[in-house]
Amino acid sequence: MTAVRTDTLADLTDVHAGYSLPSGDERPVLRGISLAMAPGELTALVGPNGSGKTTLLRVLTGALRPWRGAVSFDGRPIDAWRRDALARRVAVLPQHLELPAGFRVAELVEMGRTPHATSLFGSTAEDEAAVTRALADADALELAHRPADELSGGERQRVLVAMALAQEPQLLLLDEPTLHLDLAHQVSLLTAIRRLRARRGLTVLAVLHDLNLAAAFAPRIAVLHEGALAADGDPARVLTPALVERVFGVRVAEAHAADGSRHLALRFPAG
Amino acid sequence: MSAEASRPAVAVRPLAGGASLTRTALVLGGGTALLGSVLVLAVGLGSVGVEPLDTLAILGRRLLGLPLAETWSPVAETIVFDLRLPRVLTAMLVGGGLALSGAVFQALLRNPLADPYIIGTSAGASLGAVVGIVLPLLLPALALGAGTAWLGIGLVQVLAFAGGLGTVLVVYAVARTNGRVPVVTLLLTGYAVSAVLAALVALLMWVSGRALAAIFGWLMGSLANASWPGLGFAMPLLAVSFVLLLVRWRRLNVLLLGDAPAAALGVDVEREKLRLTVLATLATSAAVAISGTIGFVGLVVPHLLRLAFGPDHRLLLPASLVFGASLLALADLGARLAGGLPVGIVTALVGVPFFLYLLRRSRAISPGATAT
Amino acid sequence: MAPRLRAPSTFAPALLALALLLAACSQAASPSAEPSATSATSAPPSAAPSAAASVETATAYPLTLTDDAGRSVTLEADPERIVSLAPSNTEIVCALGACDQLVGVNDFRDGLPDDVLAELEDVPDVASFTGVDAEAVVAADADLVLAAGNELTSSADIATLTDLGLPVIVLYPESLAEVYADIELIGEAIDAQQDAAELVAGMQDRVVAVEAAVADRPRPRTFYEVGLFEGVIYTAGEDSFLAALITTGGGDPITGDPLSTSIQLEELVAADPELILLGDAAYDPTITPESVAARPGWGEMTAVAEGRVLAMPEDVLITRPGPRIVDGLEALAAAIHPDAFA
Repeated sequence: MTAVRTDTLADLTDVHAGYSLPSGDERPVLRGISLAMAPGELTALVGPNGSGKTTLLRVLTGALRPWRGAVSFDGRPIDAWRRDALARRVAVLPQHLELPAGFRVAELVEMGRTPHATSLFGSTAEDEAAVTRALADADALELAHRPADELSGGERQRVLVAMALAQEPQLLLLDEPTLHLDLAHQVSLLTAIRRLRARRGLTVLAVLHDLNLAAAFAPRIAVLHEGALAADGDPARVLTPALVERVFGVRVAEAHAADGSRHLALRFPAG
Repeated sequence: MSAEASRPAVAVRPLAGGASLTRTALVLGGGTALLGSVLVLAVGLGSVGVEPLDTLAILGRRLLGLPLAETWSPVAETIVFDLRLPRVLTAMLVGGGLALSGAVFQALLRNPLADPYIIGTSAGASLGAVVGIVLPLLLPALALGAGTAWLGIGLVQVLAFAGGLGTVLVVYAVARTNGRVPVVTLLLTGYAVSAVLAALVALLMWVSGRALAAIFGWLMGSLANASWPGLGFAMPLLAVSFVLLLVRWRRLNVLLLGDAPAAALGVDVEREKLRLTVLATLATSAAVAISGTIGFVGLVVPHLLRLAFGPDHRLLLPASLVFGASLLALADLGARLAGGLPVGIVTALVGVPFFLYLLRRSRAISPGATAT
Repeated sequence: MAPRLRAPSTFAPALLALALLLAACSQAASPSAEPSATSATSAPPSAAPSAAASVETATAYPLTLTDDAGRSVTLEADPERIVSLAPSNTEIVCALGACDQLVGVNDFRDGLPDDVLAELEDVPDVASFTGVDAEAVVAADADLVLAAGNELTSSADIATLTDLGLPVIVLYPESLAEVYADIELIGEAIDAQQDAAELVAGMQDRVVAVEAAVADRPRPRTFYEVGLFEGVIYTAGEDSFLAALITTGGGDPITGDPLSTSIQLEELVAADPELILLGDAAYDPTITPESVAARPGWGEMTAVAEGRVLAMPEDVLITRPGPRIVDGLEALAAAIHPDAFA
């Protein structure tokens, strides 16, 4: 067994993965990904549609087994982890989640306690405390007794965050958490994630589609292009106009604001 | 483990656990009290009049061993203890089992029209029962009925049980592709297999001639065949499946989120679906074996309870058990007072209009309905 | 251009007189043309000597009669090719000596007397419990169809046969008196009135003898088990033919719901029969007095406690409303009062 770096929480080594079609053919998505995340590290994952972002997240949770390569968590191969043990450590905020009707927010968040739950019929005090903490950290405490059916888009998103936090994970995976949110909510959600990372010592990997937001949010950016990592590192260094044009097919220009912050400005084609 | 857990300034108050736990206890307590009253009522009433005090005294002496002077006639005791009591207990077990299985299937299949029979149990059990009725007529020399006497039930019941359980296992195996059983595939396969088996049942009815009355009686569902030996067969199966299903409430809640989110929460989704299917089918098959295919209880009771109390299975599962039991015992009482109607007719006539009425009055909450 | 006929004013009175004469004759020739439910020939308990024993009456065709369903049926000529859709009708036809005129029967030949079975060996089945094969009836070139009422022959089948131009007589006797009336009706239809009258007279005499034998004897509470399927008990319905037979046979029948003919077990237990007759034992060898005693809840009944549970192999005679119904009555009476018939 290859030696695994012990200062990483999650590690992908030369992972090839994809899906089998009903016809029997195979469709490769990830082609040789190597990515390591240290405890407490905050990483943004960007890339065009179809580049494999969601697939990468699925490999990290153990939902998809790679064809080749190694996936490990906390020093052990992901296959060696029992499902509920892994679920106590890795939480996913999926892109789409239908909230079943009729439940109150607190009850939904409590579902996040499933991997921890030991009591047969009730909830332990620890479960209740975890739910309260999760709601507070997700800025959704006042939503606790509201029926889930009556939430606005932004409120739903905060509830989904609370559900993930209730699992008390070490690794938090976010799949496009800012979709459907207006600018203010996007900023407040990502600010909250950064604050949580500091408070709870979370490792975070967030799939984002806005490059500038990603660059501002995370100290490390990984760029996926056709199933491989085109770049991985400090956004200021790594996110060059040349890279963006190669990966995304659009022309951007580097710009600096008065306060020295850097961003990428879209260049529209002439005409 | 979280490095620093923060505590909000506000003291932690029970959000998810406390409130609903009290509510759960209240609802279940009320349901159990109702069940007890229904038991006494259903055992005390029937087409033959028995003095209420006599009923209580008989129950007291035979069940609780109270030393009461025998002021009642032996006929009354036979009626109350040998005829009505096993029948009412059977009604309760069957009603509770069907309602509980219905609730489980509705969540498992994320389909509000699901009932315990939907993936083939009733078609398979019906075929088994009809074979059990017709076979001894065609081959009397086999004396098949005698072989099952040790179980406390007849050939018809044994074949019904085996048919129900076997059919679901076949449906499950057929619906499995690549180690997964998608919900829609399971539903469609169950539908197709049920249709084929129903055609076979119709064919057997066509050639059955004199046995037609017996076949109709079984298909309509009736508790007239209830007996202590029959209870002896069904009760262990039902009790075990009840317990094993009740403790799975959390996983059923989580399955409502969808297969992928459930897996992300640590649930072995495919294994859990199989386990739930087998347990619910075990309960349904045992119920159908001793009472025929009684409809509507498994569909309507979970829905009514969901409308009243919400979809959280922590409450929904035990409530389905308790209220389903009361409902069928009351329906059977009505059937007996109406001259011995098959109880399936009463559940259909009464249950469905009531359900439709409630549906119009409240916003429907169906499993798998989403808040988006 | 043919000369116009003169207006028939001259012939009218003569025609009218002829018509009235014919009508009067046909009225006289068929005294029991309306034989349904309330027949004048009901057999009262008090003995009446068999009447019409020496009446020689030939049927005049065309004949119009009313069957048990109230339908008016016209026979143009003496039927020679008869189709019977129920074993009871088959037995009546054969008892009237017209067995050789049967060209088609119902496929349920169970319980027919051996001599009848022998005569029917070459007669094809034209109906089963699922319905009548109209093509087979037509192929048999039938000129009279004897059907069973109360939807035993479906009204759809009756309509089909009627539309084909066949005379269909529907029979459904619900008492001894109506059985006599049906025998006489068929007798008239097939010009066997003498045989019918003799048959009926003989039956009436035997009934009178039974009534005399059981008179003044205490009537035991009698339960006749027609069937027991999946817990549902079928017996004689209230005011039913079977209940009346039991009464005539000297018993006090315990009856069930008139529509479903079922009785709930607790009602039976409360009624406490003193005698249990197992009609279904004639068809199912597993039903015996011992198996009945073992049924939960049955052991407390007086009949079981005293061992008065009897199998009734004669069930087909008791439940088939044909010429042998009195055989069935005699079997019932012998079971209820064995000491009166030793």
